[in-house]
Amino acid sequence: MLIRLSGGDVVDPVNGKTSQRDVWIRDEVLIDAPKGEAADQTHDVSGCIVMAGAIDIHSHIGGGNVNTARLLLPEHHAAHMPRPANTPLSNAGWSTFQTGCLYAQMGFTTVVEPAMAPYTALHTHLELADIPIIDRATLAILGNDDFTLSLLRDGKSSAMIDDYVAWVVGSTRALGVKVINAGAAAAFKDNVRSFSLDDVVPEYGVSSRKIVKSLQSSVTRLGIPHPLHVHANNLGIAGSADTAAATIAATEGVPLHLAHLQFYGYGTGGKRKFSSEAARLAEAVNANPDVTIDVGQVMFGQTVTISSDVMRQFSAIGNASPKKTVIFDGDGNGGGGIVPYRYKQDYYGSLQWAIGLELFLLITDPWRVFFTTDHPNGAPFTAYPELFELLMSSASRDTKSAELNAAALELTTLASVRREYTLEEIAIMTRAAPAKLLGLKDRGHLGAGAIADIAIYRKGRDIAKMFREAALVFKNGDLVVKNGKVSRYRWGKTLRLNPPPDKAIIKRMKTYHEERYGLSLDWFTFPDSAIQRDEPFAEVPCNS
Amino acid sequence: MSVAWIGSQPVPLTDAIRNAAKLLASCRCPVFTLDTDVHGTRSTIALATMLGGACDHAKGQVLANEVALFTNHGGMFTTPGEARRRSSLIILVGEIPPLHHDLLQAWAASQPDLGDKHSRRWFHIASDETSSSHGKLLRQLKAKPLRGEGLSLEATLALLRARLQGRPALSSLSNIDSFEKALATAQFPVFVFSGSSVETAGLVMLQGLIADLNRKGRTSSVFLPADDDAWGSALASLWMTGFPLRTGFINSLPSYDPVQWDVQRMIDAKEADLHVWVSGRSGQIPPKGEKIALISLSRTEVPTAGAAVTIAVGQAGVDHDGVAYSSRIGTFRAVQAVTPSHLPSVSKVIGQLAGALPGRREFAC
Repeated sequence: MLIRLSGGDVVDPVNGKTSQRDVWIRDEVLIDAPKGEAADQTHDVSGCIVMAGAIDIHSHIGGGNVNTARLLLPEHHAAHMPRPANTPLSNAGWSTFQTGCLYAQMGFTTVVEPAMAPYTALHTHLELADIPIIDRATLAILGNDDFTLSLLRDGKSSAMIDDYVAWVVGSTRALGVKVINAGAAAAFKDNVRSFSLDDVVPEYGVSSRKIVKSLQSSVTRLGIPHPLHVHANNLGIAGSADTAAATIAATEGVPLHLAHLQFYGYGTGGKRKFSSEAARLAEAVNANPDVTIDVGQVMFGQTVTISSDVMRQFSAIGNASPKKTVIFDGDGNGGGGIVPYRYKQDYYGSLQWAIGLELFLLITDPWRVFFTTDHPNGAPFTAYPELFELLMSSASRDTKSAELNAAALELTTLASVRREYTLEEIAIMTRAAPAKLLGLKDRGHLGAGAIADIAIYRKGRDIAKMFREAALVFKNGDLVVKNGKVSRYRWGKTLRLNPPPDKAIIKRMKTYHEERYGLSLDWFTFPDSAIQRDEPFAEVPCNS
Repeated sequence: MSVAWIGSQPVPLTDAIRNAAKLLASCRCPVFTLDTDVHGTRSTIALATMLGGACDHAKGQVLANEVALFTNHGGMFTTPGEARRRSSLIILVGEIPPLHHDLLQAWAASQPDLGDKHSRRWFHIASDETSSSHGKLLRQLKAKPLRGEGLSLEATLALLRARLQGRPALSSLSNIDSFEKALATAQFPVFVFSGSSVETAGLVMLQGLIADLNRKGRTSSVFLPADDDAWGSALASLWMTGFPLRTGFINSLPSYDPVQWDVQRMIDAKEADLHVWVSGRSGQIPPKGEKIALISLSRTEVPTAGAAVTIAVGQAGVDHDGVAYSSRIGTFRAVQAVTPSHLPSVSKVIGQLAGALPGRREFAC
């Protein structure tokens, strides 16, 4: 099948300046304009913007904690039927089926679930495989498990740590490694209630910093394309900017991705001892080329916070709205907390909203700042269109700011920042840069050879409307969305790395599980056939 | 050997599929009772979504009790693996179903290697009555009873909570002093419960007690489902629809209501006109005396009494590979066929049923 998309404004910063040109698809991939061939199908997209399919690098779309949130909060799902405009969380939909459809309708074609507990990898992949249309990927959590901590405590070689990390990544079908409040989940089981970068995990004598640095180095040595994805210590508390700044300073020439930086943008200034440190953090990011960040923007309304940072979630129980929570002390890297929360337009909510926008606008390089709400923690992903508008229109920010708490906004630089994202910067931040960050060379751009993941938006003054309802979306060359509605269902793949496992570490893991859990290793691993879909995974190569 | 019947007559599988599809296409309100693995559940829910039916589990009442703890309250939990490795104080709450006794005995035979690493001690929060099988387990574990004269399990939990909070109470519990001493030295005590062992109100009281203890120290609980397959089906339903079982579909949109979509109630009230029974478990048959049409997908060698169509299906982990929830690890596990047989999987049969329905509709599985 040869498809021609004719007359659109092509925004593809990787391959040149924005221009009006045709885009050609042959079967699943993009090609240069063929000579002497007529298209089997032509779509007139004049008056439209043509971009590569968007990529979300950090969105909690599946796995044990997400499913527990569904179990805890059936009422939110029910609420979206009669009043969709007023309940953003409910708009996001809770099911895997809705997740795929709603993402596709906005022009997203690849989404990364950033927190897979290795022991529940099968559960995560079962859910991801049931998300239609889009491709998915997930990051394996490490840094709180007895095996990692014991290796570090016992001073084992970096080669052995590498073997273990490679085995976890390969056996869990992950695209990378994430560390969440390194060491804190283990410390919390020993009744530790706060944990910073240089605090030490009881029983192991290993600091959070050492865990992060060891995993960061291991990920780099193994050639895992995505740098270590770090959920730092002290998320959400006043003064957390110091922790984030210390973590940024600790990169020491090795790449590191810092997740949802907004939740660390808090200082202790002002009457309420809660202020913005976004400008300081943005400056630190701008000055350190090793660091990439995603924002975790807060938008207003009901949501639910889902995190494997069990210590932080436990401390947030008192803020739960409605008043019900799940706190889960999982095996090693598993577990976490589910705490429903409503972001109000009060002092705290207004400040959080502004800090996220400050980070977006003050970090100058769109290749190093990523578009996330940490779905659903800052807001459901269905709030993305409104967020695009806020980034692209200072007038929209002013309008919204006028509704918010003035005392909070006075403690930020937001009003003075007049930057407006261009379409090219949006294309970098949501397409080209995520592909580069994740090592996905086959997407994020519209050059010949890329897979035909394409989002086409009808130009209009209403930016949010434009991004909410893509005019057309192609996934692997299939037309899947027309006029903002899914027109065809298909099943994508879960992208994974497959580093070769070391035989000695497999033997060691067998012994470990038999001794410590009384179970053979096959209780914790699974074959691809367990997913029961044709070719559920697609391999992404490690860097050589 | 036949695997399909129309009424009591053996027929080729394709004929049975065609006949069952006709019944599904012509019915007004189909209801599905599940008792199968994850993929059987996924396919059945996908079919129900297409047809506008309702889905429940064969053990729907006890599952609803377990689900209600989460939908109404939440709580603090840990995994069986973490309890085994870290907890030196285990407190059983009510009667734990026999399917979990091997797990508890395995814990008893091991020593914690994390946390305080003390030898494991056992207590049992009980009402006055204990079954003989549970009594045997308690003796093997050397579990000390925490019990009050004439008190129900729920009242015992309330009294224990009051006592641990230093509130005045009119009666006392056996072994309470010994328990308080054990609690003071254990770093990570774990309460173990099942949805069949305590009513929802008792489970909420238990979680309140655990929340109290976590103000200053650490305590958690292990939830052992009354039935592993039922809990696995509830989890699969959650990601596919957003809701646990007892979910119905109106215009393909899911709606959760543990009363409205109680399939047995719908059958008794004649709200449904077709019952699809889906069970890969040997010997399980639909309740007798139902007055609506029945399609039976059962692990059987004979037609199901009263069924318009019977199709024999296999059991995951016995006849074919599959994925099942396992309370040994607190998550899903790939299971391999122990004795591979000719019996088709539930998901395969349901897929064929969906394919045989008239018109093109999306089968999301």
